[in-house]
Amino acid sequence: MGKFNFVISLLLVCASTSPLFAQTNIWDGVYSEEQASRGQLAYRANCESCHGSNLGGNSNTPSLLGMSFMFIWEGRSLAELYTKMRENMPSDRPASLGTETYQDLLAFLLQVNNFPSGAQDLKANSPTLETLNIIPAP
Amino acid sequence: MNCSSLHRVNKFYHFLMACMLFIFSTMAFSQLSDIAPVTDDTLNNPLPGDWLSWRGNTASWGYSSLSQINTDNVDQLQLVWSWAMDDTGAGEAAPLVHDGVMFIPAPRGVIQALNAATGDLIWEYRPGITEALEGSIAAAVPAEERVQSVMAATAYAGVGRGVQKNIAIYGDKIYAATENASIVAIDIRTGRLVWETQTANPELGYFYVAGPIIADGKLITGISGCGRYKEDVCFITGHDSESGEELWRTSTVARPGEPGGDTWDDLPLRFRAGSDAWIAGSYDPKTNLIYWGTAQAKPWARAVRGTDADALYTNSTLALNPDTGEMIWYYQHLPGETQDMDEVFENILVDIDGRQSLFKMGKLGILWELDRVSGEVIKATDIGYQNIVNVDPVTGSVRYRDGMIPRIGEQIDMCPSTSGFKSWRAMAYSPQTSAMYIPITLNCELATFGPTERELGGGGTGPVRRINYPHPDAGDNLGELLVLDIPSGEVKWRFRSRAPVNTAALTTGGGLVFFGDWDRKMYALDAENGEVLWQTRVTTSAQGFPISYEVDGRQYIALPSGTSGASWAASLPRQLASELKRPRNGNAMHVFALPEK
Repeated sequence: MGKFNFVISLLLVCASTSPLFAQTNIWDGVYSEEQASRGQLAYRANCESCHGSNLGGNSNTPSLLGMSFMFIWEGRSLAELYTKMRENMPSDRPASLGTETYQDLLAFLLQVNNFPSGAQDLKANSPTLETLNIIPAP
Repeated sequence: MNCSSLHRVNKFYHFLMACMLFIFSTMAFSQLSDIAPVTDDTLNNPLPGDWLSWRGNTASWGYSSLSQINTDNVDQLQLVWSWAMDDTGAGEAAPLVHDGVMFIPAPRGVIQALNAATGDLIWEYRPGITEALEGSIAAAVPAEERVQSVMAATAYAGVGRGVQKNIAIYGDKIYAATENASIVAIDIRTGRLVWETQTANPELGYFYVAGPIIADGKLITGISGCGRYKEDVCFITGHDSESGEELWRTSTVARPGEPGGDTWDDLPLRFRAGSDAWIAGSYDPKTNLIYWGTAQAKPWARAVRGTDADALYTNSTLALNPDTGEMIWYYQHLPGETQDMDEVFENILVDIDGRQSLFKMGKLGILWELDRVSGEVIKATDIGYQNIVNVDPVTGSVRYRDGMIPRIGEQIDMCPSTSGFKSWRAMAYSPQTSAMYIPITLNCELATFGPTERELGGGGTGPVRRINYPHPDAGDNLGELLVLDIPSGEVKWRFRSRAPVNTAALTTGGGLVFFGDWDRKMYALDAENGEVLWQTRVTTSAQGFPISYEVDGRQYIALPSGTSGASWAASLPRQLASELKRPRNGNAMHVFALPEK
């Protein structure tokens, strides 16, 4: 039993120090500034006409900011938001942008909603996307 | 062939090309140098072969009295010409025709004049690119100081999806309203800019999607982009058609301290949003009144905007004096509306047994008949698809059903969805059948309304968690052309389609009704009984405002196609009829006629 406990403890220590497991919170910086900047350009070219220059939405298009954003997305995972964007947006030509562009747009959405940036780009194929929930500031 | 002979051939070729260009431009110019100015009389009593107002006449009937194409021969219709419009925005074109020339409002402010019989381009106006007319007001302003900038080059950049629904024609000018919140006058002969005047700051969210109409010689235009909280509200303006000078401005929201100002409780001006005037109005020369609709209050839900009060003049029909902007009467269809159930749409003016009526229908599918002199309700006919309100058919008073006033965060089950049963796809009236032909989208929604920031720059529609589902009365069909007898309101017949009906309706003196659906189909039906007499398919979704006109004794039917527009226009078919596919591009005009003998 003692040996088993030692192995479990070792695993926990490794997990807590591993970048994969350490970055488990959306407030830990899950995208890079550069990526969000690319996302801003992509937003202007692909999203602005419907969601507005200030992301505040239009006559029948939702705001992507603040309370409106959190009302729709709070408690849901980044993977879910990414899938929504990837499969449904832009509304008239869904799935028409490249994977990197959708990733960059997701980073921009996080930036304008005041989630902090970090050192690494957000990657759609990262397993952590499923576990990163959109939650209010701790 | 040696070098010198090659050189001679080249010179001859250039000479030939120059001659052809000269001949072509002379032909084009000569055609439009002959075009007759449009007067008040010609606007108010249009020739059958012209289409001078966005819905055919100032009463917005959507009806052409031409009858060369009729129930006996419509199955012989052939494509005569087609024209691709820019794919830089939503295609919802309402073309005009005068003296054999078609004027097309394309996305992002582009206007094109074509020979309506052949489809040859005569001129085009491109904002920020086309030069001002020599000697005009605009020419006196340095190009860099003019309002208009080059519009966005893609469909998803820029403002408001680049929609340019309708334009107006008067005198020797074409008039349009832009996504930069300005109004422009274009020389009818050359397509050059004559004047431009900005009515609002686009940085605050203001823009136009509906173009002007002409009433008593004045240019009347309603603005959109009213959702964002700011220190001002939306409005309808009257402009001098020659100079572009603003003559009057009437707010579509009651300001604090003014009549109706207490209908927003104590909300300050900055939090009184909505009431977009995003559909062009109608004009009655007899009453000398314009009739204009206003949209819902914003944010959509009462609980989100912070008042249960009526919120004048949202969701109303306004009767304004075109010379002064004075509000002669208003009728608020849905006081304190709370689910995005817009009543802004077209106003159809019909005299019935000497009574001057106005008919209109909003998203809920209630056909309103108002007295257009007094503004009183004559009749309210609920077509029976909605589950949100009870309406008194005599008084028109509306009461919300139990549980149908949304609370923040609580889901309600509502029909229609926020897309509405009826939207910008204008209905048409036929004096032959005394009926209204109404494009309908059948669907419902599980909706949960959420909060938004009450601060300058905030507001908007407010968020909604939405789950769309088919209407229980409609099976698999999302589309319907509903035909109501006037004035009884009884259903004459209905046509259903898997895809939403996606164009305005056009009725004709040939006993026909034309319209199209999201699935690229365009139809001609017997207006009396709904029998499908002709059908074709076009580039992408049928979308826009069909018209009919005549050139040199030949009748034409012009049917527009297009993409983009309201987000739900694409999302509803994709979610509820996912087997239907359409191209992403394809804004175009398709013109049909009978074979030449």
